[in-house]
Amino acid sequence: MSLLELEEVNSYYGESHILRGVTMEVEEGQIIALLGRNGAGKTTTLRSITGASPPEVRSGTVRFEGNDITGRRPEDISALGLSLVPEERRMFSNLTVAENLHVPDISRNLLNRIGRSEETGKTGLSDEEVYEQFPRLDERREQKAGTLSGGEQQMLAIARTLKQDTDLLMLDEPSEGLAPQIVQDVLDIIEEIAEQGKTILLVEQNAAAAIRLADYCYVLDQGRIVYEGTSEELEANDEVRQEYLGV
Amino acid sequence: MSVVGSVVGFMIQTLAVSSIYILVAIGLSITLGTLKFVNFAHAAMYLAGVYIGLGIALELQFSGDIARSIGLGNVGLDLGFLAALAIIPIITFGLGLLMERFVARPFYDRPDTDQILVTFGILLIVQELIRAFVGGRSLTFSRPAWAEGAISLGPLGTYASWRLAIIGITSVLVLAVYLYIEYTDVGLAVRAGTEDTEMVNLLGVRATRPFLVIFGVGSGLAGAAGVVGGPVFSVVPEVGVGVLVPAFLVVVVGGVGSIVGSVVGGLLIGAVEVGLVMNAPTWSSVGIYALAAVVLLVRPAGLMGAVEVDE
Ligand SMILES: Nc1ncnc2c1ncn2[C@@H]1O[C@H](COP(=O)(O)OP(=O)(O)OP(=O)(O)O)[C@@H](O)[C@H]1O
Ligand SMILES: [Mg+2]
Repeated sequence: MSLLELEEVNSYYGESHILRGVTMEVEEGQIIALLGRNGAGKTTTLRSITGASPPEVRSGTVRFEGNDITGRRPEDISALGLSLVPEERRMFSNLTVAENLHVPDISRNLLNRIGRSEETGKTGLSDEEVYEQFPRLDERREQKAGTLSGGEQQMLAIARTLKQDTDLLMLDEPSEGLAPQIVQDVLDIIEEIAEQGKTILLVEQNAAAAIRLADYCYVLDQGRIVYEGTSEELEANDEVRQEYLGV
Repeated sequence: MSVVGSVVGFMIQTLAVSSIYILVAIGLSITLGTLKFVNFAHAAMYLAGVYIGLGIALELQFSGDIARSIGLGNVGLDLGFLAALAIIPIITFGLGLLMERFVARPFYDRPDTDQILVTFGILLIVQELIRAFVGGRSLTFSRPAWAEGAISLGPLGTYASWRLAIIGITSVLVLAVYLYIEYTDVGLAVRAGTEDTEMVNLLGVRATRPFLVIFGVGSGLAGAAGVVGGPVFSVVPEVGVGVLVPAFLVVVVGGVGSIVGSVVGGLLIGAVEVGLVMNAPTWSSVGIYALAAVVLLVRPAGLMGAVEVDE
């Protein structure tokens, strides 16, 4: 059984039909890359998995650890151990770094847990562990998140999800808008997290880097999976890379 | 009176009037900031504070048409002002939870105009229910005996103890809510959710719950404002609309979603109102609109606000 399975998922924004029967699997312990051009439907796929709305999943099934999670609320799906680092990082920019890191901890608050069947309130990394892994954040605990550099914000966005008890981390274009040196730092962090035993679903514009990092790749075009294969296979398949990824 | 004395006197009078506006404005501001919900029915909590508070503190005479036709007499617990001040926030907190769940939540995704129509409608319904049961005439909400008379502040002059009591009560309540929002998990969830509710959900927190709690807290403050304001403003059914307007201007001036903004806005509105009432009474109600207009021209988001008020 795969950790995450999508079966014939069809997602809509209002009347526009975006995901057209997406089927894919994410094996535990692997790094999976989801690639494709602008507007191919990568973000829509991740949002469909996390239960964020819009889009609306009108048919198909999303299974996590074998359980159907289609149409469940984002906070419940997150509590199951499936986290998203969304596009554009989405800092709480008026909150300090420490406060940003504390928001996931609120899921342990009784008010949040009461009456919810999920295993809410499971803990991920402690503050100390997070600061150890992200020393740049440690130095900036009391700084407003909005004043961090792009790279630091991306680190914070990743660190924030590690405070949850995450099994599967989905990252939507983590290298977007970052200087090349910082991109490498972010990719290193992702690799490090994978080595710590987390499964990763990575969406990237920077296809070459993503293929290098990934074990297995899916290519999306106009809401359909048009190719899947191991990184070596995709590396060797110039045709697919040129037609759908432009590399 | 010395210059210092008249300045301090003006300040104390301003603070007393501002206090009530601030207590009402904070709830309005928070729901507008977090939930983008324009809640004119918030003033119904003030009305609940005044009328239920009067029933708890002293006695409420039911002399409206409906009350008479069903033979409803007077109801009074006669527990005193402090008891009302302690009980009313709890009652209005509960009413606030009900209002969020059944009135506000169904309208979160609707346009502002729908929200205004529905919530203003509810305020008018509450107002008319009060008229039907309690009656439309002005009631007396007497000050407690301990707040009668005056207190000497040494060289600064002598001032009505009642005004000082209002200022003290308001300061404690506003500070408590400020600390609650700054230093608790619920407060943090509210501040984070004000910026990006979906992100809070994605981090495993069901944001509707802290939002519900904070809606109740805002309602509790408005209820407390009713108890404090009862002996200051007149006790008539229209007083809800009467405090709603300046409280809304406080939010506009101070900036949406900011407690500090509500305090600053409340002080400004209060100062302009008190200053005009003292010197040019006919201009007093126009003055606060003029102030709001000037502030909005200079700073569209209000003095402390990050979010722009639409329209
Ligand atoms: N909220 C929305 N409402 C309507 N259409 C949308 C919405 N979000 C995305 N779309 C459309 O859905 C399609 C897929 O968008 P999506 O954001 O999933 O692409 P993507 O692969 O993530 O692209 P990018 O690499 O630019 O981030 C696009 O045609 C886009 O215009
Ligand atoms: Mg995208």
